[in-house]
Amino acid sequence: MLRLFYRCALRLHPSGFRQRFADEMLSIFDQNAGRSEAFRLLVDGLVSLFRQWTLRPEFWHELSPAQQPASDGIPSFCSLDPFRPRAGALIHGLVLSTAIFGFTCFAIRYSWIHILQVRIREVQSDSSRPIQSDSGPIASPSARSASPVVTQGPEQNSTLALPARPHSALHLPTLATSPASAVPNQIPQSPVSHSSAAQRPRSEANSSAGGVFESGGQAKHTLAPQSAKTADLRLNPLPVLDRPGILQAQPQQAKPEGAATAIVVPAAEASKLGVRERQRVIRGAVRNLTKYYVDFDLAQKIAAALLAHETAGDDDAVTDGAMFADLLTGQMMEVSHDKYLVMAYSTVKSSENPSAPTTAEVAGYRKEMQHNNCTIETARILPHNIGYLKFNAFPDAVVCGKTVSAAMTSLNNADAIIFDLRDNRGGYANMVALLASYLFDHPTHLNDFYDRGENSTEQSWTPPPVPGNRLADKPAFVLTSATTFSAAEGFSYDLKMLQRATLVGETTSGHGHKGMPHRIDDHFTIRIPGMRVINPISKTNWEGTGVQPDVKVKAADALTRAEDLAERKLQER
Amino acid sequence: MKDDTSSFLPLSPATLHILLSLAADDLHGYAIMQEVARQSEKKYKLGPGTLYDNLQKLIQRKLVQERGRRPGDEDPRRRYYRLTALGRGVLAAETDRLNEVVREARLRLQVAKPRRA
Repeated sequence: MLRLFYRCALRLHPSGFRQRFADEMLSIFDQNAGRSEAFRLLVDGLVSLFRQWTLRPEFWHELSPAQQPASDGIPSFCSLDPFRPRAGALIHGLVLSTAIFGFTCFAIRYSWIHILQVRIREVQSDSSRPIQSDSGPIASPSARSASPVVTQGPEQNSTLALPARPHSALHLPTLATSPASAVPNQIPQSPVSHSSAAQRPRSEANSSAGGVFESGGQAKHTLAPQSAKTADLRLNPLPVLDRPGILQAQPQQAKPEGAATAIVVPAAEASKLGVRERQRVIRGAVRNLTKYYVDFDLAQKIAAALLAHETAGDDDAVTDGAMFADLLTGQMMEVSHDKYLVMAYSTVKSSENPSAPTTAEVAGYRKEMQHNNCTIETARILPHNIGYLKFNAFPDAVVCGKTVSAAMTSLNNADAIIFDLRDNRGGYANMVALLASYLFDHPTHLNDFYDRGENSTEQSWTPPPVPGNRLADKPAFVLTSATTFSAAEGFSYDLKMLQRATLVGETTSGHGHKGMPHRIDDHFTIRIPGMRVINPISKTNWEGTGVQPDVKVKAADALTRAEDLAERKLQER
Repeated sequence: MKDDTSSFLPLSPATLHILLSLAADDLHGYAIMQEVARQSEKKYKLGPGTLYDNLQKLIQRKLVQERGRRPGDEDPRRRYYRLTALGRGVLAAETDRLNEVVREARLRLQVAKPRRA
């Protein structure tokens, strides 16, 4: 044992000394049999080791060959030993280091894709979000009214959803003709009433949405469970600002989204605001912000700003509801710069008990989608056997899965495929997943949805590929424009991140967040972005920035360019 | 010759003992250690680390010459070392110097004795 240590000590000596004397020193060690003597020699060896490295630098490389000066561009190596390693040792080293490098890369990539999800359930401090387990397609009104303290649950959007119903017919023509600026706002109002479904506790939202639609006998095109789960209405084109339009009964003149103003209502109906009401609205805003706003730290800052303005008396002069809502929106905007964070005021008293989407609404949406062929404008084969699909929204896969699948089947034998999203105003995440599934031969992770209110992250995956699908390995192109919106941007972004499609056209509009309405009282509703899309590859999303195309051309020229690219790619094959 | 050797003086005890042990015959390292112990009546024990450190320096200064291995030795790893002419000269010079030191010391001690008595 001691001999082993002694040998190690000798091996660690500078090469000049070691080559000259190590054998002899070991021979002396072997002459001394006694244990104490051996120990003394070991200590002597260690002292010698120290001495040779610190005090005898002139002998370190006494026998080593002269260092060759390294010539330019050729890497040179210094080794402690003067001899060259065996070729076998070099190959071993190469294999081993390659294996370790590969394993490390794999581990890093694996950890990117598989985010550890630790779900911490928020402590429910109030009964505002009743956990209902009723599996009925639509929560029964009695079940809802049974919880007395409900101040902001399912009914939050009542102000908005209810008035929307009578006007739903108005959206049909607009959807069909679809000027890109106005239409994005139409879809959420469609009878499915996204906002209400999405706001309810997740379980209920899922069961109700699924129940309603499946009872309608659709959904033959089964979705993977995960995608069906994330399906409901995630990427629905949001905003807020369509609401004023409805309330003023002028839906066609909906303001362009982004101009963050609250509802302006004829003052006749507006009751005068008192101190107490203002206080209640601000308290409600603060409570909802800290609970739902996607960025908790920022939420606290916004809340602090609202309270500071209140204390400073900035709000005292305002007695008009709409002006007060505007004022609060402005105050929040100062801190957040978030155009989706809006306080809205409505003269229409919102019901305490709004019902979930009625069968009439569901039927209306279904009819609307039938009427416009699920927004599919063109599905045909272009010259050189290039498939071309132009569709102007991502309708609910539960309603339109069959129609869209039929369109994709008609393009199944194409050698390349072009998705035209230049006039697409977005829609449902489940349709994004369904369409993307045709481009992969296995379920693929598209996105994560982080929900601040639920404090949870849900993954969106493509459903398993349709049997007989032949597009999985075909070149794919996505045409984008500056008006490509919301879920359509998500579709482009996901395929770009997965490097599955070439994006041709313009940078998209950059709408990834959405504001969800939360009821404060009969007249005030605050819309809060509570969800964030997180792409598993980029770890971010397209909000604000838009999706950059791979090939930048004017939207009008995108199709020609994509055809050229597809043709060239097919010739290369 | 005198000038050449004087630059090496005085020798450290280890160096002196090593040179001295090599004065009679060529020796290998272990034999040097044993010879040093014998000369000093086991008062001065030289470890191999110190021995070879000194040999390294002595070889470099050309006081000692390595003679390589001897076939038929009981341990083939041993190498033998020989004193060079320069080494011998240095040893002689050191012996002279020490002789002077001893003589001086004796003289002093003889002078001192009566005083103490």
